[in-house]
Amino acid sequence: MKFGLFYEISVPRPWTREAERTVYQNALEQVRLADELGFDQVWAVEHHFLEEYSHCPAPELFLTACAMITKKIRVGHGIIICVPEFNHPIKIAERTAVLDILSGGRLEVGTGRSATWTELGGFRANPDTTKKSWDEFVRCLPRMWTQETFAYDGEFWSMPERTIVPKVYQRPHPPLWVAVTTPGTELDAAERGLGSLGLTFGQFAEQEKRIAEYRRRIRICEPVGAFVNDQVSTVNFLYCHEDDATGRATGRRMADTFNYLASQLVSAREAFPSRSYQSLGLLPQLRRQATGPEASEQAGEGLAFGGPQRVLHALKRWEAVGVDRVNFLMNALEVIPQADVLASLRLFAREVMPAFADDKPANGATAPGA
Amino acid sequence: MPTFGTLELTAIVDRLATVRDLDTEAWALPGAEILQLAFEVPRATESLLPRSMHPAIPPYGTIWVTRYPESPVGPFTLAQLRLMGRAGVHPRGLVLGAVASTADAATALRERWGLPVVPGRVSFTRRHDRITATATRDGVTVLECALVDPEPISGGDVQYIHSVTLAHAPLDGEIGPRLIQVDSRYTFKKAERGRPHVGVLVAPAWGAGPLRPLNPIAATVTTCDTDLPRIRFVMDVEVPVVRGTRRIRESREE
Repeated sequence: MKFGLFYEISVPRPWTREAERTVYQNALEQVRLADELGFDQVWAVEHHFLEEYSHCPAPELFLTACAMITKKIRVGHGIIICVPEFNHPIKIAERTAVLDILSGGRLEVGTGRSATWTELGGFRANPDTTKKSWDEFVRCLPRMWTQETFAYDGEFWSMPERTIVPKVYQRPHPPLWVAVTTPGTELDAAERGLGSLGLTFGQFAEQEKRIAEYRRRIRICEPVGAFVNDQVSTVNFLYCHEDDATGRATGRRMADTFNYLASQLVSAREAFPSRSYQSLGLLPQLRRQATGPEASEQAGEGLAFGGPQRVLHALKRWEAVGVDRVNFLMNALEVIPQADVLASLRLFAREVMPAFADDKPANGATAPGA
Repeated sequence: MPTFGTLELTAIVDRLATVRDLDTEAWALPGAEILQLAFEVPRATESLLPRSMHPAIPPYGTIWVTRYPESPVGPFTLAQLRLMGRAGVHPRGLVLGAVASTADAATALRERWGLPVVPGRVSFTRRHDRITATATRDGVTVLECALVDPEPISGGDVQYIHSVTLAHAPLDGEIGPRLIQVDSRYTFKKAERGRPHVGVLVAPAWGAGPLRPLNPIAATVTTCDTDLPRIRFVMDVEVPVVRGTRRIRESREE
């Protein structure tokens, strides 16, 4: 199992220019340390208009900064919103190629379609068609990265034949992922040979079922890219402290803050009834965890906060249900002081990571048909 | 943390409905037809939202016009204007104003669930190309709206957000302003979606000063069995609901 960092870039009010800068600087300091400690990946989201929850509309810029100050850690652009009102596919191909070059071939590319009216409405995107546009985008992207010239005439975008430059640094191209929040999207990932970039927390039994089905389906997939990225990643909170009670209390405070912020957003389904958004996605789960009957010790199932032994035990459970990678959120609204976040990372690297070092290699990319 | 509403309670306390008691019996309301229009509203509407609630991001409102063919007070049609927000982590629609088509319905809804409702004329007209609704108070049209180009969708795609009303209600021997949760259930029989169109919305008539419809979101019309339930939760108006919520009964059936 491999470990990574996951950034929403959550900025508390008042939004002074120094407050925004401090959150970004803290994140960069954490990434630099994580690289030294042996973490494998750092992911940054693309979100727009999500007040306090996420001030990260340009992850490629943040990830470029990450790449410039680190040596080995991979940079995950996740997820790029594959909706034409948000991002033009040519620009996606170009800027990911540049990031792959600048990082020396360390890029991972996550794809998705947004789940909030806050964002979709802001760009005047049609929620009914986001799954279809996502499909078009992920079909095109590997070809834009690898073909000498490319032309396309689709439902959501088109271009005459051109040479898209530069090409990506990795050969044949960076691993592709899809964000998975709503049940069933993991099957979309599997059928296209994409990695499953899980964005939900907890619930071992539910996740185990979904991962098993993902593994079954990806064996018979028709990959959109040049290889199959048979990997399951999940997201988790991390706060590791020598004192278990302190670790749990602090971690719980971070998780509650994150969940509370997420619940203020307007999900696509809440405002715009559509077959394209049949599930409420992440938000109902977070609401239940924040205030419902699950807002107790039990809601911490699988969450990585507490003493090292508790965190290790939780992650071993995730490994047992089939997760290859875990990406950690380490703060929300800066409720945990930066020094404590860094101490948590160091403790985790010292006491928990070694227990996963000699395991079998994580699932990875395979050639088509392998 | 998220921003809170900035409602000055003293400015509206004299015109709030008064709930007789919190032991309201439930009403079964079969065969209801619900027209809902959703649209974004100005940030200034935070002045309409109690200090215990958060504005949604982005702030939005809904017009709800419901035709009830059966109820304990006979058939009636009800138009409501709601400002959507958050009670802690839960989406809720604060009822700013309402017009009921019969005096009996208006009285019962005020006294039982605290709806800020007045009697008037309310129309609900279903046609193949649009579903229109109007509300008139004292001879003045205060609402004229429509769902345009209805297309069938699944009832499972529709999510109605529970309401809260702001009314005087007795609790622990004292009557005072409180938020009352009205969490109706819906069993959908038919659903359609279309474009929302608001021709007339006289905000002051709905107690909605700065509210005006901005970016349209979506409109739905459904046929469903629904209810007005027993009251389960009341909330403090000034204290964040995560600290100021009282459970009145464990379940709707109790």
